[in-house]
Amino acid sequence: MTEIYAIALFLIVLFFLLGTGVWVGLALMGVAWVGMELFTTRPVGDTMITTIWASSSSWTLTALPLFVWMGEILYRTRLSQDMFKGLSPWLAKLPGGLVHTNIVGCTVFAAVSGSSAATLTTVGKMSIPELRARNYPEKMIIGTLAGAATLGLMIPPSLALIVYGVTVNESITKLFFAGVMPGLLLALMFMGYVAITSLMSKDWNPDVETDMSFAEKLRNSRFLLPVFALISVVIGSMYLGFATATEAAAIGVIGSLTLALFQGSLDWHSFRESLMGAMRTSAMIALILAGAAFLKLSMGFTGLPRALADGIAAMELSRFELLMALLVFYIVLGMFLDGISSVVLTMAVVEPMVRGAGIDLIWFGIFVVVVVEMAQITPPIGFNLFVLQGMTNHEMGYITKAALPMFAIMVFMVFVLIWFPEVATWLPENLRSGPATG
Amino acid sequence: AEKWDMPMAYSASNFHSENGVKFAECVTEATGGEIEITVHPGGALFAGADIKRAIQTGQVQLGERLLSGHQNENAVFGFDSIPFLAPSFEASAQLWEAAKPKVEEVLAEQNLVLLYNVPWPPQGLYFKKEVGSVEDMKGVKFRSYNNTTARLAELTGMSPVTIEAAEVSQAFATGVAESMISSGATGYDQKVWESLTHFYEVDAWLPRNYVMINADVWEDVSDANKEAITTCATEAEERGLTASKEYTQFTYDGLREGGMNVEPASEELMKGLREVGDTMTQEWLEAAGEDGQAIVDNYKAMQ
Amino acid sequence: MTTLRKILDGLYTGAGALAAVCLVAILTLIVAQMVARWTGNVFPGAASYAGYAMAGASFLAFANALNRGSHIRVSILVNALSDKGRRLLDIWCFAVAAAVAWYFTYYAYWFVYWSWKFNEVSQDQDATALWIPQSVMVIGGGILAIALTDNLLHLIFKGDHRVTRDLVDQSFGE
Ligand code: NA
Ligand code: NA
Repeated sequence: MTEIYAIALFLIVLFFLLGTGVWVGLALMGVAWVGMELFTTRPVGDTMITTIWASSSSWTLTALPLFVWMGEILYRTRLSQDMFKGLSPWLAKLPGGLVHTNIVGCTVFAAVSGSSAATLTTVGKMSIPELRARNYPEKMIIGTLAGAATLGLMIPPSLALIVYGVTVNESITKLFFAGVMPGLLLALMFMGYVAITSLMSKDWNPDVETDMSFAEKLRNSRFLLPVFALISVVIGSMYLGFATATEAAAIGVIGSLTLALFQGSLDWHSFRESLMGAMRTSAMIALILAGAAFLKLSMGFTGLPRALADGIAAMELSRFELLMALLVFYIVLGMFLDGISSVVLTMAVVEPMVRGAGIDLIWFGIFVVVVVEMAQITPPIGFNLFVLQGMTNHEMGYITKAALPMFAIMVFMVFVLIWFPEVATWLPENLRSGPATG
Repeated sequence: AEKWDMPMAYSASNFHSENGVKFAECVTEATGGEIEITVHPGGALFAGADIKRAIQTGQVQLGERLLSGHQNENAVFGFDSIPFLAPSFEASAQLWEAAKPKVEEVLAEQNLVLLYNVPWPPQGLYFKKEVGSVEDMKGVKFRSYNNTTARLAELTGMSPVTIEAAEVSQAFATGVAESMISSGATGYDQKVWESLTHFYEVDAWLPRNYVMINADVWEDVSDANKEAITTCATEAEERGLTASKEYTQFTYDGLREGGMNVEPASEELMKGLREVGDTMTQEWLEAAGEDGQAIVDNYKAMQ
Repeated sequence: MTTLRKILDGLYTGAGALAAVCLVAILTLIVAQMVARWTGNVFPGAASYAGYAMAGASFLAFANALNRGSHIRVSILVNALSDKGRRLLDIWCFAVAAAVAWYFTYYAYWFVYWSWKFNEVSQDQDATALWIPQSVMVIGGGILAIALTDNLLHLIFKGDHRVTRDLVDQSFGE
């Protein structure tokens, strides 16, 4: 019985604090405090600090600010313009034309950026005006951008995967590699959708590109060199075993600074701006993680997660049913909460459940990331929707509708992951010895 | 009934944790339900490093911790992790007997009472190649995670690389590290046979997990219940030791099945390692002073 | 601008700058550790130092991030209300948040005090006296508490808080 009271109490206090607009990290601390005061006789304050110190001074977490910083530096470079120049000659002739630059651009940029919204702002500031100038359907421009930008979270590096890995204590490097194939597959599905729509739609009459010779296309590809060089050093250093995820992040920062320097976009002002921006963003995530660590502890004292996990186990749901329940749960939660908050908030309860059901935690990380991606484009709280609103001045409703097909593709992706788990698990299980590093 | 929380650092399926759960059940039964212990394995409540302080300051009543993790704080805590000082289950038991009074004294100063302790399976050496002598170890990239392992690398001529626990299997897979010292259990859990080939049963040391209770909490326990808990603790200690031995065999078999060579070290290798052990014992004695000397003297007298 | 205003704003900016320095320190430490490994050397305790810098980069940045609107909150209700309702709701939010932050700071102080008193040292190779890095919790938590209180009082007496939100700035976290 106490479990039911505990659940009710946690939920009521949580929804009240979050709903009235208390900052997520501090709201989590508040809920945790109430739970501990009511359900245990232990000293709450000391316990809170012990666990918050342990979680905030963690080495694994250092990948987070570094990847954020890297995104901040690249945002201030000419990278997105160069990418458009390099990609567009190759993609212009595909059915769907230059809309594919949105998707491929986001995919490529996702491989150097850890965040979805940063991918969106960086790619979108270039592609939206270019595509509009060529009269592509506005809904397509907006929708594909909103959807494809979420690949920033799936394709490594990924802040969501770092946060997940830190929370459930799994290897971040493995999680990163688990995201590669699902990310590419998702990108292909987006492109397939664009191609089919362009063939079926009557409104699809963009200005036709003047044809480029193959040699010209190749020459234009030089613009892609910087970004591919950066991808190679960041992902390659991890794959070949030169560096862990954290170290790859450090390499990424140095690589981006070098890139910015060569492009002439690095001066004291932009360096300081990027650093201060990264400092604030990582502090935002750190505050949520601190609150979540305390909430996890508080719930642990009440025995709630295990009781719930046992309860669910007793219902004898099949793995598929459990995943379906979680899918619905996370989609609903994702409507109101940002992805990272909803992951850390629920892991205290969901992790024992998932482990109990014998689900691979690396695979589940990718499942969670797809769901977190969806949260970026579902109203009323969807960060990509906000960013696009700011960039295009369209109404929320318009942007949401434009992004709806992408949402459907992501739901389909969840089923692909369930039917073919190897899509996520094959690569991390087959990382092999690289050349000697000594 | 009084409700106690008992954090344990290792996963629920680990034999230490299973033993802890049985201990908790025993206490509930033996105290007629007056004391109910909830075990929180897998670092669910506190991570390993924070458990001792959590007990000390009363955040939880009792818990389990690998004490050698705290040797920076007091070198005496490192007595069970001196390489090649007591290389077998039997020798380790004697070493513990020799150290017990001193360790309990130090714990008492920290507001802690020891209930029971259980050794981990012995630490062996993992390699990517056949190793017949200390000479063969030169230049090998060795995973170090604390001062002892770093020093061990240095004395055997290996190159220490620092790898965090979460990245260990990754580090072997990608060749960042080529060797480590750990129990058969670690290698078995991490499936290291995918990247490593040889395991040598050198039994370097047998670190212990200690289940400790807050001294103030202990004081408030009735005499009858104290006795009941002590009896359960003694049983847990015996049960844990048996489990540790069985698990050692189980993991060696598992490593073999995975395709690794699991064998005792050659006499030449052992000879070289024992010399390293002598050096490290001397160094530990410098840090642990008279207390340490008393432990080693006691132990040597039993041989 | 009064002197107090200047001092407070300087405090938030200064702490943010220090947090940024911690971020650079993380980068430096990780690179140093990596280079050490490639060249067959060791940098004992690098991971711990990076962890302390991580704590510094977070705690010292909390107040600065608050004032720039970086911290995430659910804003449906706030946005749906009239100006007066919004003000009342914001008062509630700042009051709760300030209470949590002061509570945190108070216990962080005692936590660090006991680390110092027990002479607690790091269990890793660095063997740092832990009260030193742990102090950032007290300092950073305290500055956040001050910032929240500052905003709360501003909201009550001047009618508005001082948080300005920048969407692009915020977009890098999602
Ligand atoms: Na990414
Ligand atoms: Na959403």
